[in-house]
Amino acid sequence: MRQKLFLTLLLSFTLLTCGKRSDVVELQDWNFGGRPRLIEFLRQRVYSFEKTHPGMKVIQSDKSWNMIREILYADFSAGAGPDVMNTHSNFAAEFGPAGFYYPVNKFPDFEEVRKWYVPHLLESTRYKDNYYGLPSSAIAFVLVCNKELFDKEGITPPRTWSQFREAAKRLTKDADGDGVVDQFGLVLMGGDKGGFAYRMIPFFFKAGVNVMSDDLTKIEFNSSRGVAALKLITDMYQVDHSITPGFLAYTHSEINDLFCSNKAAMSIEGPWFRGMVDDKSPGKDMYVVAVPVPDDMIGQYETAPTLQDMVMYSINAHSKHLNEAWELLKYLRNDEADMFWMTQDLGATATTLHALNSPEAQSVKDIQLYINELSHARPWPPHPSMIAIASNVFTPYCQRAIVGELSPKAALDQAAKEAQHILDAKK
Amino acid sequence: MKRLTPYLLLVPALLFTLFVLIYPLIQNLINSLSDVSMITGSSGWAGLQNYQNVFEDALFWRSFRNTAVYAIAGTVLALVIGLGFALLLNLKLGKFSTIMGCLYTIPWVISPVVAGFAWKWLLNDNFGIVNFWLSYAGIVPIGTTWLGDPGTALLSVMVARVWQFYPFAMVMFLAGMQSIPQEQYEAAAVDGATMVRRFFYITLPNLKAVGSVLLVLGVIWSFNDFNMVFVMTRGGPMNSSMVLPVLVREFSFVHFDLGKGSALSIIIFGLLTTLSFLYLKVVSRGEPS
Repeated sequence: MRQKLFLTLLLSFTLLTCGKRSDVVELQDWNFGGRPRLIEFLRQRVYSFEKTHPGMKVIQSDKSWNMIREILYADFSAGAGPDVMNTHSNFAAEFGPAGFYYPVNKFPDFEEVRKWYVPHLLESTRYKDNYYGLPSSAIAFVLVCNKELFDKEGITPPRTWSQFREAAKRLTKDADGDGVVDQFGLVLMGGDKGGFAYRMIPFFFKAGVNVMSDDLTKIEFNSSRGVAALKLITDMYQVDHSITPGFLAYTHSEINDLFCSNKAAMSIEGPWFRGMVDDKSPGKDMYVVAVPVPDDMIGQYETAPTLQDMVMYSINAHSKHLNEAWELLKYLRNDEADMFWMTQDLGATATTLHALNSPEAQSVKDIQLYINELSHARPWPPHPSMIAIASNVFTPYCQRAIVGELSPKAALDQAAKEAQHILDAKK
Repeated sequence: MKRLTPYLLLVPALLFTLFVLIYPLIQNLINSLSDVSMITGSSGWAGLQNYQNVFEDALFWRSFRNTAVYAIAGTVLALVIGLGFALLLNLKLGKFSTIMGCLYTIPWVISPVVAGFAWKWLLNDNFGIVNFWLSYAGIVPIGTTWLGDPGTALLSVMVARVWQFYPFAMVMFLAGMQSIPQEQYEAAAVDGATMVRRFFYITLPNLKAVGSVLLVLGVIWSFNDFNMVFVMTRGGPMNSSMVLPVLVREFSFVHFDLGKGSALSIIIFGLLTTLSFLYLKVVSRGEPS
């Protein structure tokens, strides 16, 4: 009798807990990376979405930005994954044609929605004829200069490569007088293969170097200008010793610590950096300027492209709730939501015309520089293997050149050969 | 029915083993013989091509060498340190031994990921306490880049691994020492044997079995260690601290070559199975027939 009672209770409990309210549509939203303030904002936004959209429930999960590709690859290949996710916009080329991202231009109101965005930023979500997401935030890679160190040295932020090299040299010194150099002109993120490529390529772009040909069939980063860009960094490390010696182990946290403790004077960063520094050293100021150009291109200092990176929100093509996911996407990325990028420091630049042209935009630090840089910036070429080439080929060879294992030319030639092999195999 | 009961009771455990061990192993074996594309989900027969690709990859041989150094040298060093501390604790200095015994075992109970992060900061070139003390003592120059220098990265990770493994060796050696019959020491003392001679002629021979087991176990665990290396260096800089388990991830989830990654993991499986047989042989040698 007791056994029967127990089984009945167990069965009822199981049925109750397994039951799902059929009138509620449940959406999975995966948020990759982001500063705590951004994550908090997204939580509030989803909360307000649920309030204004009865019958929809959003399950949010925070995931590691560094493992974004492997997480998505593993889930997508298993036929799983979230309904909505934020990723690099260049994933459009990788996951779009593979059938993992839903082309949002298929939604009937897309033509209306597209008018929200700065046109060239929206273009970054496109691969061939389809748009695979809505822009979330934009990033232009710039040079950040430690104001305290620059002012103490009496120099202004560099605009050309020779000024850059000279500034780094002058800012490399024994600051505490113990006979050992403890302050360096430049810090690089060598401990993160992707992060390193994103910080090297702005020098290539500013020098007019293409990563690939326009038809995406030929690797071109080993041009003479490309070799010169790598040689600049190589010479700074090997000849001037103005780059932090341990850069090969550094990720975001080490760079932030070095910058805040005045052990590094310059770094290639983006709009997140001011907030990161402020969290650690409140009130610490910096000059934020465009990445320097080769000396003979000084006339193009304000128009030469830097690297543009963008985060976009996409929909899983295998989602069972495509229309509901689209509603959530629009809610997360409409004018009202985008204004938060202006009123709060969320670590990137807004992407809607409404936010960028708003009166609030005038009071955001560095915004004019970022708007200008973004208007000329170029994203990575939209090739499905681009990120793999940048992280697994371009970075290791550049690092080998910087530490002196290979000459800049040999390193880039070998990298180009390997990258070309990947392109050819993809054909 | 009575005869079947034991087998029925075994079914849950067998099913669990089937799904958690056998199925992934077989799937991995199939993947290693296939050309798997994660993006299209397709796979075609590749024969032994993935294995050939692994063996032709210079990074595999570099990682193999690194893994061997990391596992063998790291384990031997941990055993020597563990033995030293076990001897110290075996002196039975009352509460002091108990307190020190607890303190010495702390590294063993800390999660490898937490330990990895802690060591990463301890070895930081600019803010790390290790650099601070070593440069203060004049042993290394200020700002030595332990994890950023291809010449010292593997050694640095190995130090962290030794720090984590020595307490286990210490506890095992201590248990071994406490099971040595006291009569042997008393007889040696009567014969006038010094402390050093007693160590080499009584303690060490009695610890041979424990030491062999520890050596094989330590090599197996270090050979298979992913956490410490991944957290501290991710196999860098420039692959100088790349070890085989991290390389499996590199092939599978960075290059997305699942076939090659699976082939490498099967190779590692083979190596570890060989070591495990060695371990079983060592263990069974110590048992009465």
